Amino acid sequence: MTDGPVLVVGGGPAGASAAASLAEAGLPVLLVEQRDALGGAIHRQPAPGHAHHIRLPARHRRNWAALTARLSTTAGRIEIRTRTIFLGVDGQGRFLFDDRAAERVFACRPRAAIIAVGAVETIRPFPGWERPGVMTAGGAQVLLKETGRPPQGPILVAGSGPLLLAVAAQLAEAGNPPVAVLERGRPWRAPGALAQLGLSGGLVGEGLGYLARLAASRVPYRTGAEVTRAEPQGDRLKVVIRTGSAEDVVQVRHLLVHDGIAPNRTGIPLPAPDAAVPVLLAGDGREALGADAAILDGRRAAMQLLARFGRAETTTPAEERGLSRARAVQTALAQALHAEAAPPPPETLICRCEGRSYAELAALPEDASAREIRLMGRFGLGACQGRFCGPMIAALRGRPMPAAAPPRWPLRPVSLAALARLTTDETE
Amino acid sequence: MTAHFYWNGEPVPFRPGETIAAALLGAGIVHLGRGRIFCGIGACQGCLVAMTGAAAVEACLTPARNGLRLSPLAEEQADHD
Repeated sequence: MTDGPVLVVGGGPAGASAAASLAEAGLPVLLVEQRDALGGAIHRQPAPGHAHHIRLPARHRRNWAALTARLSTTAGRIEIRTRTIFLGVDGQGRFLFDDRAAERVFACRPRAAIIAVGAVETIRPFPGWERPGVMTAGGAQVLLKETGRPPQGPILVAGSGPLLLAVAAQLAEAGNPPVAVLERGRPWRAPGALAQLGLSGGLVGEGLGYLARLAASRVPYRTGAEVTRAEPQGDRLKVVIRTGSAEDVVQVRHLLVHDGIAPNRTGIPLPAPDAAVPVLLAGDGREALGADAAILDGRRAAMQLLARFGRAETTTPAEERGLSRARAVQTALAQALHAEAAPPPPETLICRCEGRSYAELAALPEDASAREIRLMGRFGLGACQGRFCGPMIAALRGRPMPAAAPPRWPLRPVSLAALARLTTDETE
Repeated sequence: MTAHFYWNGEPVPFRPGETIAAALLGAGIVHLGRGRIFCGIGACQGCLVAMTGAAAVEACLTPARNGLRLSPLAEEQADHD
């Protein structure tokens, strides 16, 4: 075991919380973030000089203010490297990073690693989801936080989950309310789950606030409605909407889709808390429970590591209770918004990178392994490495996609020039 | 003149600190050749753009810089069939 720093990958709430907790206990930390500033998708800050602030609920703003204060108190023990992309772990156990500002790859052997790379959004595929003009709702929200400027032209928001309401309300606030919000689920038919959500904290209040903002801008919130097709028409998208057995069509410039989030585990090392170099996962990248829980989970992971080093108690009951509550909220949300999935039309693209359709997925043997899905089906072989089609394939086949083991690097395209300038923290 | 980079040779203005993706969308550009801006967090690789004199980058992660020359990925980079 070395005396080097503990590596924390990802500067969102979980990574920031883990880094602060480790540094407060006296350990040196290397905190790596792909963007030019910490915060993650939830706390994406406006570009410097942009006066606009997309309002977050007050508790999120308080939480991030508290985390940044803790990071600045312990700044002497935390080295922060931004614009640095995690490429994975090589065959010798070295963690590899692409320093995009220096255009150089560097390798390090940390004392331990906490990986907190967040979640990816999931979508239910429909013909046309791969078209330009279709974006994830969360992706559009990150851009909106950055610039304060909504996309121009008519916008439709569709899919499932509370994020649809948040994004739509923020678009309205920023001056371009969407033409409608389509929620696939029918929450009013699940009063029990809604009541449970009402008892479990501020989420329902937050949702009602967004609904009030949408009502003020006359944005319809249609439940039990989903997009079945999108096709280009001039510089617009012609979007077909199904509500029960009725169909209607809208023309929009942007279609924002979102059906929840899943941990970003593609190519991420498997957790190994007892290994010589312990590896732990934290936050939405371990279990998608949202930003509040991510702070608790970052601390839980840090405490687990400190216990392993003999510097803390092993149990973190307050954090575990908070995580259980967040899990109960997610379960109630899933019940409230549950909608049976019908298989998409055969021509629906599943793997955008390689242009593979649902018909080609359905033609694979029922019991095809992850390897066969990749090598025979050519799914998940492209630049995104299955970060998007993996969860879709799992949902369509009704069983999890087994991970390719061991995970392969690089997780992202990296230039040979940057690799040729490799630096390491090892003495040769 | 305001800060700008070039997309297919055409100037695209940006405000300091913005990503390439934010500036392209702000200019109403949604077609990136075979690519498009989709996830906004560097995961889907749909917004990879070619940069003259450097490696391709995700438009959604990369801060815009004055004078950058950007274009869609060439077909053989976007599609290795």
